[in-house]
Amino acid sequence: MSAQMSVPEALNTLSAGLVLISAFAMVATRQVQGVVRFFIIQSLLLAASCFLLGYSQNSFHLYALGAITIVAKVIAIPWVLKRTLARELYERREIDQAFNIPASLLLALFLAIVSVLLVSPIMSITPDPVIRINLPIGLAGVLIGAFSLMARREAVPQLIGILAMENGAFFAGIAIAAELPLIAELTVAFNVILITVIIGLLARNIKETIGTTEAGALTELKEEPVSWR
Amino acid sequence: MRQTIVYNIFQILFVLAFAPLYSGVLSRFKELVQSKRGPSIFQPYRDLWKLFHKDQILSSETTWIFRITPYLVFIMPIFVTILIPVLTDYPLVFAFMGDMLAAGFFLGLAGFFAALAAVDTGNPYGPMGASRTRMVGFLAEPVFMIVFFTVSFVAQSTIPYIVQQKWIASPAAFFSPAHVLLLIAFLMLILAEGGRIPVDNPTGHFELAMIDESKGLEFSGRGAALMKWGGQMKFLVLACIFLNVLLAPWGLAQSRDIVHVLAAVPLILIKILLFAILLVSIESSLAKLRLFRISEFLGAAFITSVTAMIVSIFFAS
Amino acid sequence: MALIAVVVLPLLAAFLCWIPVLRRAAWIISVVCLCSDFVLALFVSRQVVRNLIFVGVRGWLEADGLSALMLLLVSFVCALAVFFAGDYMRHNGNHSHRLWWFYCNYNLLAFALIIVPALADPNLVWVGVELVTLFAILLVAFEGTASALEAAWKYSVLTIMGAPISLLGFLVLFWSYHSGGGTGPETWSSLTLAAHSMPPSLLRLAFLLVFVGFGTKVGLAPMHTWLPDAHSQAPSPVCAVLSGVKTSIPLYAILRLLSIVLLSPEARMGRWMIVIGLLSVAIAAFLLLQVREYKRMFAYSTVEHMGIILTAAGLATQASDFGAVSQMLNHSITKSLCFYVAGTVLVTMETREIKSIRGLLRVSPFMGATLLLCALAIAGAPPFPIFLSEYSILSAGIRGGHNLAVAILACLIVLAFIGIMLQVNRMVFGRPELTHEEAPVPLTCRIAVIVAVLPVIALGVYIPSPLHSLLQLAARQLGGR
Repeated sequence: MSAQMSVPEALNTLSAGLVLISAFAMVATRQVQGVVRFFIIQSLLLAASCFLLGYSQNSFHLYALGAITIVAKVIAIPWVLKRTLARELYERREIDQAFNIPASLLLALFLAIVSVLLVSPIMSITPDPVIRINLPIGLAGVLIGAFSLMARREAVPQLIGILAMENGAFFAGIAIAAELPLIAELTVAFNVILITVIIGLLARNIKETIGTTEAGALTELKEEPVSWR
Repeated sequence: MRQTIVYNIFQILFVLAFAPLYSGVLSRFKELVQSKRGPSIFQPYRDLWKLFHKDQILSSETTWIFRITPYLVFIMPIFVTILIPVLTDYPLVFAFMGDMLAAGFFLGLAGFFAALAAVDTGNPYGPMGASRTRMVGFLAEPVFMIVFFTVSFVAQSTIPYIVQQKWIASPAAFFSPAHVLLLIAFLMLILAEGGRIPVDNPTGHFELAMIDESKGLEFSGRGAALMKWGGQMKFLVLACIFLNVLLAPWGLAQSRDIVHVLAAVPLILIKILLFAILLVSIESSLAKLRLFRISEFLGAAFITSVTAMIVSIFFAS
Repeated sequence: MALIAVVVLPLLAAFLCWIPVLRRAAWIISVVCLCSDFVLALFVSRQVVRNLIFVGVRGWLEADGLSALMLLLVSFVCALAVFFAGDYMRHNGNHSHRLWWFYCNYNLLAFALIIVPALADPNLVWVGVELVTLFAILLVAFEGTASALEAAWKYSVLTIMGAPISLLGFLVLFWSYHSGGGTGPETWSSLTLAAHSMPPSLLRLAFLLVFVGFGTKVGLAPMHTWLPDAHSQAPSPVCAVLSGVKTSIPLYAILRLLSIVLLSPEARMGRWMIVIGLLSVAIAAFLLLQVREYKRMFAYSTVEHMGIILTAAGLATQASDFGAVSQMLNHSITKSLCFYVAGTVLVTMETREIKSIRGLLRVSPFMGATLLLCALAIAGAPPFPIFLSEYSILSAGIRGGHNLAVAILACLIVLAFIGIMLQVNRMVFGRPELTHEEAPVPLTCRIAVIVAVLPVIALGVYIPSPLHSLLQLAARQLGGR
């Protein structure tokens, strides 16, 4: 770390490292509630980063975004999930997943390296240390979230995967697009909540009609070879 | 020069003296957290005293390995103490004799002989525990290596004293993500190597479930005392490395004045106490992992340390 | 003012459908509002042809050539589909107490679809596309059967997964706009002006992210797996809207961004677009050969056409841009017709499978003839409009020198043609099974099909000159000029 980094920026770097760790932790957890807890931690880190960057750049938008993140992702969404989902979904202790945990962790590490490499040609454009660390880690959060989405076969972890991707996108966004008017971001947050509620309803519906949300069991719609009679 | 030799001896005496105290404090805290009264914190001293005054019984089936192991297990942590910063901030006379890898090798040697001794007895529980210890050991090896490499890479040196200077330089360096990730990885490593929950239960009496404790089952009298004391010293040494090099490199004596060195003793003790509290809170809130989940635990530690390395390489810490 | 009215009308309709007193009249309200919306869109397009741009609220709601074309398409398809839905939904009996919610939802979807082309700020376009996704999910799941829910779940996970990726892309775009020295608010037009000074690596990253994020919604390979399920399980009028315009709207956003990226010479995206477009067409063509249900067949053909449009945009010449926008127009009207016909077949024959239907021409000449007609139209046979636009794309490609791509594309189009016609021939010709009792075709469905057939037949032979100018304007927009 260069000595010119101010204290908020240094703390932001710290939260960036912890965001990466929480992304890994979400991939490595076996329990649904564990995934939700790590998601809450990640959202808190995102909010902390918003506040730190808002302080160092004197941007009101970032403060507001941090507050919205806390309200929406730390409080509202876990509460909504707990309410609208059936108990058996929420308290599952063994998530059905495509890879075992050490393999998933290695793949997540690989994705983190890929995102750093993807972003490296851009690093030469800007000397700003905040962007240099937020953008790769945000992109890594998006990729690792997408990976956890595809590797898990159950509804709630997939949902949390989408929300984790959103966390990653915003973590990068607050560094690169800090002057963006807040309206878009407010609507976005609201959008995410809305989608979660409805998908939560869907998941309950799915549980009632099909009996499980294990998406691996949803195999009815598939192509079979047709005979040319 | 002579002063530093004296300080070195002083360091060794410090570790010798306070290792059982550390173990006593840990078990007392654990019992307190469980709303029991717990044994006195000086109980390990009494245990060692008792054991030294008992006869040693050796099985006729055992070889020289069994006889030599307690001494090895006792002496190796002392060698490590010479290399690491325990009381002082500046390198003492033998500090350049070996670096952190050497420290790892010393501790590994002691563990290796302990495992061999457990097999040597012919008791069925011994080899079982020994094989499990080795499994945890080889899973933890890559983590050790990567943590050491990353620390050395960031600090541009492998000598613990120099590494410690790097982290103490500025708040930015202290809070850098590479540092935090290394802390997490090394903490998980300590839990694994020290045989604490979530890897192993140090207070368990059930031989089928023991990992680390089983290697001390067959020893008696002086041998048992040396094994116990050696184990406690190893754990204290690991804690010293963690605290004084990585986590909280403050409170160490910075001048060559004997008063400062003596004054460092209570400060270090306070740090170790706080670390004991942290350890007890971790232990009391987790459950012991199933044996094959230990690979996931150590895999997570590995990933954390590799991430620390990536962060330090790519983000030009 | 007219633009604001165009955007607000569906929202008003949704609100009116929601009021308990008016719930019974939900269908009439929707039809009236959406038809007047179409008229207003016609008016806006005419103004755009004359003045090159129509401003509703400066900086927020603006319509240029490409936007006006999309507005026209969306309003036409939505209006006709809701008209079709009247008797169709009533016929599918068991939801009559929830029909008002269907229309409310439908109007909200129409609102989201209409507002996206009219928005000038790219970030708001992202919000609009996500709203489209949201309402479409609700509609797909409307019927509540097990397979409908399965389709809706797969659909929602795959498409919403694209949302944060494209969000990051738009944020990077914003950053590149400002680091390229762009002043003033960020709109599509100001982005086009600033395209030369934006750092190419940033532009490339932004486009890549937006492409992956929105590409899942368009159904480009390899992110197309949700499309056949969703588009076959939803109620047919909804399918018409989904296949006809909902996949075109994210493609519109991608094409806008592509036109900006292509202006910056160092970001070489054209070739990749051709490759991915051809890949989509190939996968769709091969899947068409072994499809089991006719609605899924039409869904695969949507994937194919989206691939063709992307390939055309990737060829990046003036003529291929014209081919791309006319392909969008023709695909929307033809595909919605296909789903109207599929809907009538479903209502009368009550089966989704191809092999259960034979001799449709003898069972009901109306249905048989329209099915044959729309299959020929969507497969690209003359004298239908899709043949014209595909031909112009192919010839533009040859003139531009991309011989290999054109050859592959031509082979794949032929393959898809064979695939569709084989299936449809089995359905239309032959001897019908005598034991089958079928219901008569509902009235509004019949009228909707006839109204939809007219442009399909007409545009194959004659494009009225205002429409032609609009298409040329849109093509110029696509080329960034």
